[in-house]
Amino acid sequence: MPFLATPLVGGDAFEMAQRIGLDADRELATLADPVDQAACLRRYWDRIAELGWMATAVPEELGGAGGSLADLAALAGGAGRGGLALPVVLSCAVVPMLLAITGEDRRTILADAATGQARICVIFPGAACDEAMQSPKLTVSDGHLTLDGAVAGIETPPDPTHLLLVCGETDPVLLLIPADARGVACTRYQRIDGRLAGDWTFGKVTVESDWILARGAAVAWRAEEACDLGALLTCIEGVSAMGAIIEQTIGYLSERVQFGVPLSSFQALRHRVAEMYVEYENLRGLVSQALRAASASDRLPWRDIAFAKLRLGEAGRFVAQEAIQCHGGMGMTEALPAIRLARRVMMAEFEYGDRTFHANRLLVDARQDDEAA
Amino acid sequence: MAAPIDYDAFRREVTEFALTRCPPEIRAAVATYRKLSRKIWQPWQEILHEHGWGAPSWPKEYGGTGWDHQQRHIFDEVMAECDCPPQYHHGLRHIGPVIIEFGTPEQKRRFLPGILSGKDWWCQGYSEPGAGSDLASLRTSARREGEEYIVEGQKTWTSHAHESDWMYTLVRTSKGAKKQQGITMLLIPLDSPGLTIRPIRTIDGWHHVNEVFLDSVRVPVANRIGEEGQGWTYGKFLLERERLGGANVAPALKNLERTRALVARELAGESNRLKREMLEHRLLLAEAALLGARALGKEAVAAVMEGKPLGVLPSVLKLSTSVTHQHVAEVALDAVGERLAPRFRRIDAGGPNAEAPGIEWVQNYMYMRVRTIYGGSSEVQKNVIAKQLFGA
Repeated sequence: MPFLATPLVGGDAFEMAQRIGLDADRELATLADPVDQAACLRRYWDRIAELGWMATAVPEELGGAGGSLADLAALAGGAGRGGLALPVVLSCAVVPMLLAITGEDRRTILADAATGQARICVIFPGAACDEAMQSPKLTVSDGHLTLDGAVAGIETPPDPTHLLLVCGETDPVLLLIPADARGVACTRYQRIDGRLAGDWTFGKVTVESDWILARGAAVAWRAEEACDLGALLTCIEGVSAMGAIIEQTIGYLSERVQFGVPLSSFQALRHRVAEMYVEYENLRGLVSQALRAASASDRLPWRDIAFAKLRLGEAGRFVAQEAIQCHGGMGMTEALPAIRLARRVMMAEFEYGDRTFHANRLLVDARQDDEAA
Repeated sequence: MAAPIDYDAFRREVTEFALTRCPPEIRAAVATYRKLSRKIWQPWQEILHEHGWGAPSWPKEYGGTGWDHQQRHIFDEVMAECDCPPQYHHGLRHIGPVIIEFGTPEQKRRFLPGILSGKDWWCQGYSEPGAGSDLASLRTSARREGEEYIVEGQKTWTSHAHESDWMYTLVRTSKGAKKQQGITMLLIPLDSPGLTIRPIRTIDGWHHVNEVFLDSVRVPVANRIGEEGQGWTYGKFLLERERLGGANVAPALKNLERTRALVARELAGESNRLKREMLEHRLLLAEAALLGARALGKEAVAAVMEGKPLGVLPSVLKLSTSVTHQHVAEVALDAVGERLAPRFRRIDAGGPNAEAPGIEWVQNYMYMRVRTIYGGSSEVQKNVIAKQLFGA
């Protein structure tokens, strides 16, 4: 029996997420027009909203399912394996975690996010912007808060209704900005991995007082936790995709005949696959441990997560690149699911902190430990 | 039913023992990367034996501790964390269990106590010039004459033969249809007439492996393990038992910790900052890989505890840790190389200034190359994994 990857968290939710991912991936592959593709993604968004995915992590008293980290992991894993081009980690985990900071009076937004009616992007501090842009900045003038600046390449749900923006270093603020507010503009597009993204600009945007969900140290802390949760679930998504990539690469090498023999008879290729598997297993072990540690504690184990995300960069890229190489010319095309997954894994590295970001965190922390000692 | 084992308490007990009972000079030798020899191992084995911990992996009836896999794993981890030498494995982990499983009552009486106490030192006569990874191609032969075998041939890569008393040896007693057939396991005293040991000069400048020449060496039939011609089975049994060996990543993590301290010490100060930070980053990548391997090691121990098969996990662990071990050694070399590599020479050559402070890091880098070669080379491990993954 050829290799079959075992999910980190299996079960019905995993199977469902995988099935929907595969359906969406198949359907998207038949569409050439970006408008049709965006419409297709919106249909799938509505479907997963109806299935309650975005309510998974929302507390029951607020209309959610009150689910656990394992429930989120099952969805992220299934979606990763199926190659679902929707922001599952963002919308099911990161947004609800950020919104959970709000006071009683603002809980309707959480309920709307849980039903998928509110489709929210998140802009963390340090979000990408080009040289000519200025990062989002809040200034006070005439007693009003004004927001200016721009960010680029922000992952988005279909037809975004809101933006969550974490802004300000000394006194961080969490803003919930309606996407259609005056002075807010978004250029939307589809990324190479099929996901939707947008470049946002803020031109003299007057910040309404009810946009401010929270401020102060709690915002910084919450943003960091949300980012770590995003990183952990992205690792789970990535590991799951990597397992599928290896399975499919084995399938391809076993089928494809050259020089009169299946490619799988060449040791050079078999060894590449063995190396992919070693990297995959090593990362799976690390992510599995981080997931267990996260489930066992109220605080997310940021060091475990940082190591895992760092390794996703290393191991994920390795597996993706080797898969492309093993597929030869087909590895340079979009035709095969394995290659689309490989491309997705390469993109996942840059979500919720790339490998250098997490390496930097760990190195700074080690230095502080040394100085304290 | 026995009371459940308190593994945390066990870990504390082992740690306390390691820190108080392992002689400081032995721990210092381990901590400073001195190459381990019988001079270091034997006294430590005696201390362990005296405490009743001489054989962590043996059943109680043979003088072992009777520990489960989790306890053994903890023991190994703590030993590494406390800079205690890993126990010399050829007797305890290799031939000992084979004798326990397949030996005659007389062989058990004769050999097990010496292994436990450290009085008898063993080495492994497997590899030959023409039989490395492909061990079953071995040609050293034994023909029976009455109650003796006459052994002719040559063994190589025989670690520690020069300080051992006995060699468990695979020899060919007949030619079968398959090359794995007709192999017999003999226990050969190293002071036998006709047996010559010659050192092999290795790239790390340290004498640890040898060639062993067997020229009409007479071995009593009583020194044969099990049946004639079944040696491959016993050899495989031995390797199967060692499959959890790679689950202990603690020595590699300890090694990393030492290297990190070396980098901080050797490259202190602002003028070295860039180089230091580059090396620190490489160590961080190695640490991430080792933490992944450690997580897999825990999974392996848990699987064995539950009686589940390990599949290719041991091969994955071997590949993961061996390469990372090498990466860490490369970082250490890069930290001290400019200062020390040009001064590195054969250790046994001695002479003035032979022991420059830190020279062991250069030696260790050279030595570490063996990690991806011995115990099943990386290429052999990849063959094993690929066979499983492709289903053929």
